[in-house]
Amino acid sequence: MAPPAKPITSPVSDAWYPTLAVFMLAIGLVLTASFFIYEATSSKRNCSLAKELTTGGVASVFLGFGSLFLLLSAGVYV
Amino acid sequence: MAISRYVLLVVFTIAMLASTAMSDPILTKVDRHVENPGPLIMSEVLLAFPELQAKNLAYLMASSHETKGKPKGSVVSLPIKAVNLDERPSAVTFYSVLLPKEVAAGESFTLDVLAVFTHALRPVPEHITQVDIQLVLYRDSVYYLSPYEVKVQSLTVKLPDSKIESYTKLESTKVHGSEIKYGPYENLPPFSLSPITFHFESNLPFAVAQELVREIEISHWGNVQVTEHYKLIHGGAKSKGEFSRRDFQARPNDRGASAFSFLVAHLPARARSVYYRDLIGNISTSHLRVDSRKTELMVEPRYPMLGGWRTAFTIGYGLPLQDFLYESEENRFLNMTFGSPMIELVIDTLIVKVVLPEGSSGILAAAPFPIKQWQETKISHLDIGGRPVVVLEKTNVVPEHNQYFQVYYKFSGLSMLREPLMLISGFLLFFAACIGYMHADTSISKSSASYLAKQQWEEVQVLIQKVQNVINRCLAMHDNLEASLRDLSRTGDVQACKAARKSADGLLKELSKEMKPLLTSLQAYSSAAQILPKVEELVAKERELQEKVMLKHSTAVEGYERKSGARDIDHRVALLQQKITALKQEVDDLLQFIDDI
Repeated sequence: MAPPAKPITSPVSDAWYPTLAVFMLAIGLVLTASFFIYEATSSKRNCSLAKELTTGGVASVFLGFGSLFLLLSAGVYV
Repeated sequence: MAISRYVLLVVFTIAMLASTAMSDPILTKVDRHVENPGPLIMSEVLLAFPELQAKNLAYLMASSHETKGKPKGSVVSLPIKAVNLDERPSAVTFYSVLLPKEVAAGESFTLDVLAVFTHALRPVPEHITQVDIQLVLYRDSVYYLSPYEVKVQSLTVKLPDSKIESYTKLESTKVHGSEIKYGPYENLPPFSLSPITFHFESNLPFAVAQELVREIEISHWGNVQVTEHYKLIHGGAKSKGEFSRRDFQARPNDRGASAFSFLVAHLPARARSVYYRDLIGNISTSHLRVDSRKTELMVEPRYPMLGGWRTAFTIGYGLPLQDFLYESEENRFLNMTFGSPMIELVIDTLIVKVVLPEGSSGILAAAPFPIKQWQETKISHLDIGGRPVVVLEKTNVVPEHNQYFQVYYKFSGLSMLREPLMLISGFLLFFAACIGYMHADTSISKSSASYLAKQQWEEVQVLIQKVQNVINRCLAMHDNLEASLRDLSRTGDVQACKAARKSADGLLKELSKEMKPLLTSLQAYSSAAQILPKVEELVAKERELQEKVMLKHSTAVEGYERKSGARDIDHRVALLQQKITALKQEVDDLLQFIDDI
């Protein structure tokens, strides 16, 4: 007989979706805010591309995951 | 193989149920006691159906009738396949049942055969008004069509209720309420037929789904979404004349007894987000009852269904992933019921679409009965190429077909990251666009007066920011000194105070050195002409403040060294303190002013 089948579940438990969505979006939005503050207050002379890219990159990671968990917690199982 | 080799066949009891619950399908149950007189060993039994009946055959199952006392759960069905025989009478279809163990010569064996026929009841008269009763006609043969000799045979017909319009009366016919028995016939040759007909009333719901499309979408994030699109028709006698709603509601048993107004579906347990809607919108006439073993959904279409009337609606529900998706060896597979969850529904064409997540490969579908399958693609949320869809099609589906089928596929866990990566790259593009916009120089002319003036002003602003920075650091130093004085008054440690003074001195000297070149370069800019006097004033005031703070500090330290009274020190310091405060205020004002430009 084939080995007994194991049920598959999601890698992240269902109950965590709303919490994860809120926290990741909050962190992502804070990083976005800091990115835009840096953009607004730095002039062309003393802006550093590395700092901009890292802030933007980390913010987009958090925003990406946050919006994924937001969609999942709203019932749109993507 | 020639039929004549398998000589004898014995007792037949046919119980024909003209539906217990549904009107359209006919269930035929045959208990056959098979005897092998020899000399050969039997391993298969042939079942024969006249071709007209075989067209309507929806489901055929044979099981061995081991002992009478066994509980219902231990029915094991035997494999059946359709066969083509060389020498056979025309217009007969054959099926062969493989026996679990061979029957040697002289032994006997009992077999249970269940056959379900759809569209076998014909409504006669075909058109009825709202007040007429619905009568249906059924034709069959009294003698069971068998390729073997029959020793003993009897037939029982169970009708839905006891209102029988007419039936074929033979010698050995007995009627008990809604059951008609045709008494035992003995020693019949193979392929004997004798037609009988029944004309009886049937008000059971004739719900027929002309087309049912079931879409099962799997998401590895935890949900299996099932959407079912129904196109229903009432398959009984067609309604003619007008429909009076008032009569129907006042006396439903008289006016419109053959109509049905609701359908019941048994959804799997833990179904969630159940919806019932059609093209117009949500239909609110439905009831949901949640059980530990099933979820019962009762839906009422927007109008009662009379003969020939159609309706179309959609039912959808979500199921938890772990109840239906399993992993074994390298494959994942979905284990799901094939037919419709509605009890008492006959489906003409059933299409089951299983939508697998993007990135699945090696897709295979397996069902316990013959189906037609092919693959499609569907584009859904966050998809790049589209999701692979296995489409299974079957015609003539009855509730007995609601068995589990499996869809096997391979999927690597990393492919789940594709969706968040898509979202992340979207946001990243947005940020990159912002960076690009900030860094881009969109002026048309690089040598116009206004462009140059703007560039100069930017440079001036940078310088002023640096000046502000330096002044802020000076002020910080002053605060340090004040703090050290306060420490002194608390601890009386003069040495620490002096050390602080020394470091402050050094730092302030450095800062003033920094300030000088900034001021000179600021003077070089013409556009800074307005702001320059203010900056110089700021620097001057700051220097004054510095001197006063130093003076106050040294006075206080001296006072402590000489150990003069606290009041004495305070008195000396008081005037200085006043000036210091005033100067501080002015410095702050100037800084504010420069900021605002």
